[in-house]
Parts: sequence; structure tokens; C-alpha cells
Amino acid sequence: MIFKYDKHNKYHRFARTLLITAVSFVIFVTVWWELSVLANTPAIPNPLQTIDALINLIHKGDTFTGVSLGTYIRSSMTTFIKGFLMALAVALPLGLLLGNFKTLNELATPILEIMRPIAPIAWAPIFMLAVNFRTGPMLVVFVGIFFPLLTNITFGVKKIDPLLVDAAKTLGASQSQIFMKVLLPSTIPYVMNGIKIGLGIGWMCIVAAELYAPPLGGIGFYLAEQATAGYWPGAYAAIVIIAVLGLLTTGVADYIHRFASKRVGVEV
Amino acid sequence: MNKDESTPRKMFDFRKKPMQSADDAAAKNPKTERREKFYADIREGETLLDITDLRIVFKTDEKEIVAVDSFTLSVKKGELISIIGPSGCGKTTILRAIAGLIEPTGGSIRIGGNECKGPGSDRGMIFQDFALFPWRTVRKNVEFGMEIAGIPKEERSERAERYIKLVGLDKFKDARVHELSGGMKQRVGIARAFVNHPEVTLMDEPFGALDAQTRNIMQAQLLRILQNTEQTIIFVTHSVDEALFLSDRVVMLTKRPARINRIIEVPWPRPRDRSDHDFVEMRKAILDELEKENVMN
Repeated sequence: MIFKYDKHNKYHRFARTLLITAVSFVIFVTVWWELSVLANTPAIPNPLQTIDALINLIHKGDTFTGVSLGTYIRSSMTTFIKGFLMALAVALPLGLLLGNFKTLNELATPILEIMRPIAPIAWAPIFMLAVNFRTGPMLVVFVGIFFPLLTNITFGVKKIDPLLVDAAKTLGASQSQIFMKVLLPSTIPYVMNGIKIGLGIGWMCIVAAELYAPPLGGIGFYLAEQATAGYWPGAYAAIVIIAVLGLLTTGVADYIHRFASKRVGVEV
Repeated sequence: MNKDESTPRKMFDFRKKPMQSADDAAAKNPKTERREKFYADIREGETLLDITDLRIVFKTDEKEIVAVDSFTLSVKKGELISIIGPSGCGKTTILRAIAGLIEPTGGSIRIGGNECKGPGSDRGMIFQDFALFPWRTVRKNVEFGMEIAGIPKEERSERAERYIKLVGLDKFKDARVHELSGGMKQRVGIARAFVNHPEVTLMDEPFGALDAQTRNIMQAQLLRILQNTEQTIIFVTHSVDEALFLSDRVVMLTKRPARINRIIEVPWPRPRDRSDHDFVEMRKAILDELEKENVMN
């Protein structure tokens, strides 16, 4: 019997996605392997060596310092989440203010436009040395998440449908009621979009910041340590961990974003 | 609709008594109560809304545009008035000024003798593009105004339920806005405005975004809803047909700046027949006049 693909069958669709993902993965591993053979340098270990190092890392932790992988991940995640919460706590009220008050926005725009293009990583050495090794990486994550979040929230407030505000007014709503019952709910998808973008950037920042912060530990530190020691498979194993955690973070953010948009009934 | 019909149409004959329980419920709330007491002495057929010498000027960098000039109109309680005019003449501007969404440059707008300052729940509004809150369900949309007024929860849901039933959406009361068709959305808009018992309801081309068939259904439904609730309505439309089908009086505007060209009393009882000879004649006469207005510069 010949298998016939039915695009309206969700199991068929799922199987198709699964197959394509598997093929894509096989191609990736093959290219990597070829590359490591062709380059013939210890700086590019083959996938098998990397997996070996990865298993070793999961089982025994960092053999140089004796710290377990879990501790490293926990350390990275804690810094990341703290930085994110800080960014949210500052960007949310500030974005609502800037979106609402034109003069304030005009006043803040030049400052923000100067600060925004600076790569968050550029702050890392400064924060690390000027503040300390513990809060430094947190501040880098903060800067990374803060700007996309702020831009999105401000934009969301400005983009609010003026008809909805008119409708609320003719239903007797006061300024504060309009703020609570119309403005806040209609900015939620934009906040979520900002969080989604911010989390991706923030995750890049944390790993980069950790490279500068030996006492803090974290997965970025492990990567730097292994590379410095010339133990390349260990460094690649760290990169795999970073990729998986990054994938999880953006996946969670994407899910929340979609859920919130659907709940609010607005697509961004 | 008979041409020889000698007995004048009883004014507002299509409306029955307002729903008594709704008013009782509203009276319990101090905010609503104050308002209803205030205007309670105005009876059906007496002047409710008084617009005198309304003038609205918009300023741009280059020039001043006079959108509305010396617009004077009295609206009686229980009346349905249509405003028609050449497109872009300022019909909607007048409506938004009455709603308090635009501040008039000159003249006055009074409800029951009181000057209107800014928007308020005594003037409900129904928008062409519905303006429903997409994050709220149908029921929650209808409850919005009552939430604002601080009406207790049980009463809120009881009143909302009744008006949702009135507009025929009881099967969809927990649906979200994006799940509804255009006609259904506007029925939510109507329920959301009427549930607050506004003194005047301003309808800004409410059926303009709907297809012709839905439009006719909605017009008939509006008349049916009006039989069960007591409303005073100002209805902006660009459809002469719609104006003649629905209203007690039709206000014809001139080109910008909008002034009153003339006011036409529509003499026939409802429900009206669009294919009736008189109806067709009158529609043609008005259309001709509008066209003349459009051609004249």
C-alpha cells in the first residue's frame, strides 16, 4: 500500500514536521562532521567528541573546579531572570508614561536614541568593574532586555485604537478608568512581544557577560574556561547547553505571547 | 402607506412603554438615579436636546476649516432624527460634538437645559466600525458602561443578559468579538449603548460597514428593538433610503461648512414599505437635491 499524505490530517502534518526536522538535524550533523574532518584542527571537534564531553559534563560537572552543571545553569538562569524582572519593572511603567505623555516622550527620545544602538555586551566590562561581578551580568541582561521592551510598550500605548478610547468616553469612563480598562489591556500583546524579543537578546547577553565574570560561574564561564584550557569538546558541549536553554526560553516566551494575544483578541 | 390617509400619524406610535424593571433597577444606583430624576420631567415629545448656533472650526498650519456653521436643532424626547448630507460635509463632526468628543468652537449643546461639557454616559454612541473591546466577551462589552458607573455585579449581568437577548445574541453572549460577523458586532454595539439608558443615542453611520442585505435586516431589527426600549436617537447616514425608512425627521445638510438645508418630516407610520410609490418619490426628490448640492460649488 502506498502512503498518501493528507494535509488536512493533523497526525500526517505532525509526522511531516517530525521527518523534516530529523532530516534537517542529520544534514547539520553531517556538515559539522565533514567540516571537522576537513579542517583537521582540535578547534573543531567532531559531534561524537562533543557528545562525549557533554555526557561527561552532565555526569561529572566541571572537572577543573568540581562544580556541577546544575549549579552553572542555576547560576546563569538566576542572573538572567533577575535581569529580566528588573527590565520589566522599569520598562513597563516608563513605557506607559512615555506612550501617554507626548512631551515626556520627546524629552526622552534623544537620550534613548543615543543609548539604544550601544550593544549591551559593550557595557559588560564597565558594569563588571564599576559595579561588581555579581550584579554586573545582571545589569547587562537588564540593558539587553530593557530597550526592546520599552520600545514595544511605548509603541503599544501610542498604537491604541482612538475609537476604543472614544467608546469608553461615551460610556462615561474617566481618565483613570480609560487607563485601567482600555489602555492596559490593549497594550498587553505589545508587552508580550517586547518580552519575546527581549528574552532572546537577554539570553545572548547573559552568556557573553559571564565570560567576563569568573567568580560568578555560570555556563558562560565554563565555556571560557574550557576554551582557554584548550579543551575544545568541553567548550562545544557548553554551546550545546546554551543553545538548548535559549531554545527553551524563546519557546516559553513565544507560547506566552501567543496565549496572551489570543486572550486579548489582538494580533501583533 | 396611503396617500389619502387623513389622520395624522400619532407621533412615536411604534414605541411601547419602556421596560419598567430596567428603570427600577437603574434607580437603585445613586449615579443613575440622579440623572433619571433630573430629566424625568421631560416627557415624550418635549424638547430634550437643544443645539444652538453650533460652530466647529478645525485649525491646520495653513488655514482654518469651518466644518460646521450656525447649526441649530431641537430634538424631542423619543424622536429618531436622521442627518444626511453630501459626503465629507461634517455630519460625523456634529455627532462627535454632541457626544463631547470634540469641543465646539461656538454655540451651545444642551440636554434638558443643561450645557454639555465633555463626554458623558447620558449621550451613548454607536460607531460605524463598532469600536468593541476585543479583549472582552460580548457580555463583558455590554457590561462596560455599568462597570464604569459602579453598578453591582448581579444587576449588571442581569441587565446585560436582558439587552443581549433583546438584540438576539443570547447564544453568543460568551463569544469573543472576533468570532462575530459584522451585523452581530453592531448588535453588541447597540446593546452596549442602550443598556445604560442614555438620554440620547448617537449613531454614526452604524450600518455603513455592513453589506446591503445585512443592512436592511439591521434596520428592521433596530425598529424592533426600539419598540421595546424608549430611546431618543440621532442617526447619521449617507443613505437616503435608510433615513426615510427609519426616521421621524430627516435633517439635510449643505456642503461644508455644514448648515441645515432643510428638515423633512417623514409622515408615514412604521413599518414602511421601500417600494411604496410615495417612498420612492420622496427618496428621488431628496437624492436630486443632494446631487444639486454636490454639484454647486
